[in-house]
Amino acid sequence: MTTGISLVRENAESMQPPRSLWVPFPLGRPLGKPNDKAFQHRVIAAALALLERTTGPVLEDYPEDAPTVSIEESAACPVSFGDTQAEATTWAARLVSELTQMQPWYDLGKRRRNGRSLVGVAGEPMQTMLKKLGELLDSDTLPTAELKWFKLAIEDAKVFYIEALTAQPGEYSAQAIEQILWHETHLGAGLRVFYERFTATPKLAIMARMVASREAIGGSTGEEIEINDITKKEK
Amino acid sequence: MVRLIDLPEYERDHLLEKNMPPLGPLPWHNNAKPLSAKRIALITTAGLHFRGDNAFDFADPTFRPISIDDDANDLIMSHSSANFDRSGFVEDVNLVFPIKRFQELLADKTIGSLADVHYSFMGAGLMPKVYEKSAMQVAGLLKQDQVDAVFLTPV
Repeated sequence: MTTGISLVRENAESMQPPRSLWVPFPLGRPLGKPNDKAFQHRVIAAALALLERTTGPVLEDYPEDAPTVSIEESAACPVSFGDTQAEATTWAARLVSELTQMQPWYDLGKRRRNGRSLVGVAGEPMQTMLKKLGELLDSDTLPTAELKWFKLAIEDAKVFYIEALTAQPGEYSAQAIEQILWHETHLGAGLRVFYERFTATPKLAIMARMVASREAIGGSTGEEIEINDITKKEK
Repeated sequence: MVRLIDLPEYERDHLLEKNMPPLGPLPWHNNAKPLSAKRIALITTAGLHFRGDNAFDFADPTFRPISIDDDANDLIMSHSSANFDRSGFVEDVNLVFPIKRFQELLADKTIGSLADVHYSFMGAGLMPKVYEKSAMQVAGLLKQDQVDAVFLTPV
């Protein structure tokens, strides 16, 4: 038997899993609030209680919103984006320069989290990956022969920046972090260029959806289609 | 908040496109054991795995095991969707994969036991039907582990 969390009520309504607890939390946060043991236990208890139901399907609404942090209340971004980056004439130089500003904050965040970091899916040093992404941007090319590497590299780069931007203790607005990442960093600017290039390349347009979020672009990033085709291409 | 009414139209439309009919006859199972005797497993679709594991592909119906003996703080994420918050998971693995919370429930005898192995899928880019083979395989593994109930978390 199963019980579980649903983040989009309408999806659970349509698919009708046996026992489901809809929670009014942001995508990516099924238990509501990080590091809040009591809050997480309340959510789990409500979902486990559904195991006692003897008829179904059951779709129950969780009554408590997760505490939110507004953009205005968000802890300050610690990184100072200096002029040295702006003077760099190439993407590669700008990204490597930005990395030197991010690195101490990333290291600090990692120490605060007792050594925990999500960076490492691509298995390459951050500087190597950012330099390569910058060179692709500088040469106006797409990594058509290395799409899987590209996906993992940008996943690592984004999470490296998130960890750096949230290095200090405090309550962060996920939206504020997204805004800084996408609109104040060279990485965000570079990824938006990749997004545009993928979008303009019909055979690779579906890659664009993996590069940038709808929130970053401010609109739809493409139709909801299966992405089998692209994996077949790479294989 | 994922109340559709609170979201921009493009986001609302996208999420509604994910509405799907049930996969078949609606499954239902009762288990008379009290929760304090049940053996529980966790399954997430968050694309979690350890550094040494293969990362998830763009569209990937396979799964990764997460042993109860592993340190969940070492879990990383390779998920194809760019459209959910990662910053919460950066702070706390339990926000997505609440293994520590379940270990606490075990310690205070709220649940009977925890499975030896838990599982992670990557929920993006494929229609639900494509996961059938992997889901059947995991169901067999859970049965072998004498699991009574599964707690599911999406992202």
